[in-house]
Amino acid sequence: MSTPTPEAFEQGRGMDAHNAVMREVRAERDETYDPHEPTRVWIDEDNTPDGVRQSLTIILNTGGCRWARAGGCTMCGYVAESVEGGSVSHEALMDQIDVCLDHEETNADEPSGLVKIYTSGSFLDEREVPAETRAAIAETFADRDRIVVESLPDFVTAEAVSDFTDVGLSTDVAIGLETATDRVRRDCVNKYFEFADFEAACEEVRAVDADVGADDVADEASTDAGTDDVSAGVKAYLLLKPPFLAEPEAVDDMIASIRRCAAVEGCHTVSMNPCNVQRYTMVDELFFEGGYRPPWLWSVAHVLAETADVDAIVVSDPVGHGSDRGAHNCGECDDRVQTAIKDFDLRQDPSVFEQVDCECERTWEHVLAAETSYNMPLAR
Amino acid sequence: MTDYFEVHERDGAARLGELRLADPVRTPARADSFLEDAGSLWAADRPVPDGDESALTVLPHRGFPAGTRQEVRDAFRVDHPDVEFPSAAVASAADPVDAGADAYVISEAPALVGHAQAFVEAMVRIKRSLPADTAVLLSGVATPLNVATLAYAGVDLVDGTLARVKGSQGKYLTADGEHFLEDLSELPCACPACAGPREEFTREDCEEHNLNALDAELRRIRHRIHRGRLRDYIEGQARHDQWLTATFRRLDDEWGFLERRTPVIRDAEITAASAETLDRVEIRRFADRVTSRYRSRFDAPLVLVPCSATKPYSDSQSHRQFHDAIQWRGHIASMTSPIGVVPQELETTYPAQHYDAVVTGDWSSEEIEFVAEVLRRYLERNDYPRVIAHVPEDGYREICERVADAVDVPFEYTCGDHPTTDDSLAALAAALEGEPAYSKREREHNTVRALADYQFGPAGSGDPAEGGQPAGDGGPISDEGTDAGLFGDDLHTTGRYPKLQAWSGPAGDAGTQLATMVPQYGVLSLTLAGARRWVDSDVPTKRVEIDGFVPQGSVLAPGVVDADDAIRVGDEVVVEGPAAFAVGRAEMHGAEMTDSTRGIAVTVRHAEER
Repeated sequence: MSTPTPEAFEQGRGMDAHNAVMREVRAERDETYDPHEPTRVWIDEDNTPDGVRQSLTIILNTGGCRWARAGGCTMCGYVAESVEGGSVSHEALMDQIDVCLDHEETNADEPSGLVKIYTSGSFLDEREVPAETRAAIAETFADRDRIVVESLPDFVTAEAVSDFTDVGLSTDVAIGLETATDRVRRDCVNKYFEFADFEAACEEVRAVDADVGADDVADEASTDAGTDDVSAGVKAYLLLKPPFLAEPEAVDDMIASIRRCAAVEGCHTVSMNPCNVQRYTMVDELFFEGGYRPPWLWSVAHVLAETADVDAIVVSDPVGHGSDRGAHNCGECDDRVQTAIKDFDLRQDPSVFEQVDCECERTWEHVLAAETSYNMPLAR
Repeated sequence: MTDYFEVHERDGAARLGELRLADPVRTPARADSFLEDAGSLWAADRPVPDGDESALTVLPHRGFPAGTRQEVRDAFRVDHPDVEFPSAAVASAADPVDAGADAYVISEAPALVGHAQAFVEAMVRIKRSLPADTAVLLSGVATPLNVATLAYAGVDLVDGTLARVKGSQGKYLTADGEHFLEDLSELPCACPACAGPREEFTREDCEEHNLNALDAELRRIRHRIHRGRLRDYIEGQARHDQWLTATFRRLDDEWGFLERRTPVIRDAEITAASAETLDRVEIRRFADRVTSRYRSRFDAPLVLVPCSATKPYSDSQSHRQFHDAIQWRGHIASMTSPIGVVPQELETTYPAQHYDAVVTGDWSSEEIEFVAEVLRRYLERNDYPRVIAHVPEDGYREICERVADAVDVPFEYTCGDHPTTDDSLAALAAALEGEPAYSKREREHNTVRALADYQFGPAGSGDPAEGGQPAGDGGPISDEGTDAGLFGDDLHTTGRYPKLQAWSGPAGDAGTQLATMVPQYGVLSLTLAGARRWVDSDVPTKRVEIDGFVPQGSVLAPGVVDADDAIRVGDEVVVEGPAAFAVGRAEMHGAEMTDSTRGIAVTVRHAEER
């Protein structure tokens, strides 16, 4: 990454330590998974640059994240949902896609306009999903409007993204940036890439977008433009409150990160998600010993309200909201605040947060004023 | 090296300290108003802060929350800069490292508080690893209920963040607990925040009240430490929460930690009102010294009598009546809970003269067991021809009968229904009929020798017969106990008991005064000649080595080159350096003297150039 300096040495030491611990933590897990079944699949609604669309979300089991096998991110437990042997064949992956299509047929009235594929790794990494499979999946969903595929920035190339745009799918690459602050991403999350890598990936995607845009212009006369516009963009995934950050530090980091992401051309959406406590992670160990509390839902609302003016869609989907292991407030108001957040996701209108209040908001304000890395968690 | 924190007074692990900011702060204290956080290095790189003397600056830190594994702590450890202003370093309770700061903020505090075992283990580790004259700060944990126990365990600084948070949650805090506001029909407090009508009391008011209650409790704690009486408070107050009770009980099991920090003498009463009083260092130390250092030098029979509420016992009406019947024909030892057995020579010795027990006549089985064990060990160590137990029924008689079965010496019982009835006193006198009375001289000599034994160890009296085993907490001792103790065959005493003076040779110009008995504590204070005897004797000398100066009034910690690890607060110590020889009383324990860069180590009584 750069020339060896004491600072770089320290980075290496920290990463080695995180990886060593995470390998040990993950080793405690012994389940394995059927490579012919997706990890999860569900139907939802999502806000896209084309408006709100029904979405089919697929968590594809690709054998897990390569980075996680080295240790990986301190909060991520999805990796453990891997298969024996570590890799999944083209046939098995296509079986998983079939299961998802069956699920959609059973649970939705019509095909979803938006398809989102996550792998807990990098869909665009050909060691995880072979090029052949990628092309086949693109073909399978060619009749939809838009697809989201998850990838680390290293694997984002114009060529890979074009597989989807070429079949007429607007394509978003979901990048788990976690934070725009390299230091936090490295030391708290234990991710190895830098914001510059994210910017480079955005540039790759923008090149594809420019290409298909040019095609659109060429085709404009012959097609009913507007609905068939094909585009390519980046959706940045951010993490609110990684381990070791106190609530106010985490909130400040998110507000700054959303602004920086939104300013990167090609990045049209930011999904800011509160850290939840997943099994077999470092976060889980801290949580168990009393050293971690997931963020307050008030913090999620606050960040969204503070960044409502940015030139990007900003959404959040607090997983496990209201539970000890997910973002939560006092227990009384969690559902109401969650509803406001989901409402904001669809409408991008910060006034939704004026509709909810609770006495615990004052407690949260105290936490925001006084929590530090030497007194957290200040309130459960 | 700390420049801005000094410990002035000690009460067990608790300390009354001074944070020497522009406006000095007496600790234990709430740090909110002067704590400046230079920020977390997890979130961003931080410059070395400017800092100044008005604040305690928390240096840039990476806090390791509870559950952080060692590999991660090692890899992300922060090197703290040397700074010229009052500073605090964030440390992990798992492996606290001296960083040269004035104070240490313990990053796992919220997970430790509430868990007695983890908290006690952490505090013991922290105190062992960090210099004694640095402050320990716990942030985000203090309540009026727990702060006394935190201070008792050695915490010097807290903050009001949790009290404020709890107020915002409608939790009303008092020294006896936490109450939901809606459950209180009236507010059990008269602080300004609570002065308005109950129905107008808001959560904001509750925050203010909680801080007031915390501040009031801290004032109480500082006063208690100053008076040497925090433990008495803890034994009562900590009962309002199980984890707090568990904490002080578990600390009692950390003998090495607590004993080192507990003064051997002090001018403070001990309230003996709970079962845990028996576990106090002062109580156990006295019982240990009586059964391992002290030895009776009287040939007379042992007369066991019940203790009295008046102290010393010999001033009480009941003991004057016993005395009139005994007439110096028996050696008197008082049986008492919680002290055990108090031979007459040690009746003024701390804490025999300083405790006040709850008197109901009922003995708990723990008290009976404790006193019986002390009496059994006492009788195994001392040869008496006979034991006259002039004790009433209740626990006393049961204890005597239990011990009589376990030892060789015969017991006789002389007490009827009550020890001071004419019949009982007559029976006591009759039992001693024909026993010779010992002289005043013998009594006084035995008293100063007994005090020396108790204070300095079994060879301390200079008694040729005593080889002696070292007492539990004492330093190494010579096995060849000889007559090289403090007092030789030429011992003379002057003065009126309890203000005795011990001389070598005759009193006055022809002799040399060695020591004076201090009636308030029942110990000896040595003259320079006495100190020299001590140095020359086989008794292990508690020695403080100083730089080349002649101490005037006190020796400050920076002047200490080395100090015996066995030194406790209140111990007689010999102070020696290239320029001076002196004797005085320790104000710190030995390790603290060598560790500290501030504070009075020894109050010097006599010094001379050499």
